[in-house]
Amino acid sequence: MKIVIAGAGSVGRYMAKQLAASGHTIVIIDNDASAVFRLQSTDSITSFQGDACEVDVLAASGAAEADVVAAVTGDDEDNLVISLLSKQEFGVPRVVARVNNPNNEWMYNEMWGVDVSVSTPHLLTGLVEEAVTEGSLVRLMAFDHGKSGLNEVTLADGSPAINQTIGSLQLPREATVVAVLRDGHVVAPALDTVLHAHDEVMVLSSGDCEAAIRAALIGSK
Amino acid sequence: MALFRRKKTEIAPVEAVRGIPMAEVPLRTSVTVCGKVTRMRTRPAHGVPALVVTLRDETGFVTAIWTGRRTIGGIALGRTICLEGVGTKASDGITFMNPAYTLVK
Repeated sequence: MKIVIAGAGSVGRYMAKQLAASGHTIVIIDNDASAVFRLQSTDSITSFQGDACEVDVLAASGAAEADVVAAVTGDDEDNLVISLLSKQEFGVPRVVARVNNPNNEWMYNEMWGVDVSVSTPHLLTGLVEEAVTEGSLVRLMAFDHGKSGLNEVTLADGSPAINQTIGSLQLPREATVVAVLRDGHVVAPALDTVLHAHDEVMVLSSGDCEAAIRAALIGSK
Repeated sequence: MALFRRKKTEIAPVEAVRGIPMAEVPLRTSVTVCGKVTRMRTRPAHGVPALVVTLRDETGFVTAIWTGRRTIGGIALGRTICLEGVGTKASDGITFMNPAYTLVK
C-alpha cells in the first residue's frame, strides 16, 4: 500500500521505518529539511521537503494515489488541514490523524476528513487506569468515530461473572468478549470458557452498552 | 492557503460549463459534472450540520456533501448546477466532498 506520512518528527520517522519494514511504500513530508534528511531515503521510503498543508505539495507527494494519509505533525491545526485536504482534494480512502492537545479531539471527525484519530493523552490515561484499577470498565481504544471501542475489565473477587461461562454472561448483543488474559496468557474465548477472578476480559462493543457490560462483568456495588 | 474551495456563485449559461456524464466519473480525479438537483437533505454529522445534495443527469447520479452548512443560496430542488471536485466511492455511489459549484441558467 502507498502511505503518505506528514510530519517527520520522532513519530513520523518511526512509523515510516516500521511501515516500510512491513512492505509498504512510504512518502514522508516535512517542512524542516533537517528532519527529512535525518531519515535516509531507501527504495521504499521517499522523503520530501515541503509544507504538507499546501495542496501542491500533497499532490507532488502522490496523495492522489495514496491508500492512507497519516497526519502526525506536532501541531493540531496542521494535522486537521492535512486531513481535510487529503479527503477533499484527493479522496484518500483512509485518513489517520494525531491529536496532540486532547482539548482539540472533538474536531477530529468526518467534517475535517479524519477517519481515525489517535490521541496519546487518552491512550496513556486508559493504560494507567487499566494498570491501577480492578473491577472497573476501562476503555482502551475507540474507533469508528468513537462509536465502537475495546474495553477491558479485570474481574474483582465479587464479580458476578466469576465461575460463569462466557456463554452464560448476560452481555448485550452489541458486545462480545474477544480475549481473556489469564496469568499473562491469552485464552481464546469460547462459549464454555469459565472466567476466574483476576482475569482480564477484553470486550469489543459498539453503541452505548457500557451499562450492560458493567452489569454483567462488574455487578452492582 | 486555499483551505476551502472558492465558491463560484456566478450564474453561467449551460453551454459554458462542460461536464462529463455521471456514469463515467472516474474516482479520485478532479472532474466537472452537471445535473439537476433531485434530492436535498441536511444531516447532523457529529453535531455539525452537512448539506447533502443528489444531482442527476441522463446517465446516473452523484452526491455532494457540504460540511458545516444547512443551505447554500441558489441550490434548490430542480435547479441545474455543475460541480467541480474529486469523486470518491461511498456506500451509495459517488460522493463529492465540499466541491466547487456553478449555478447554471
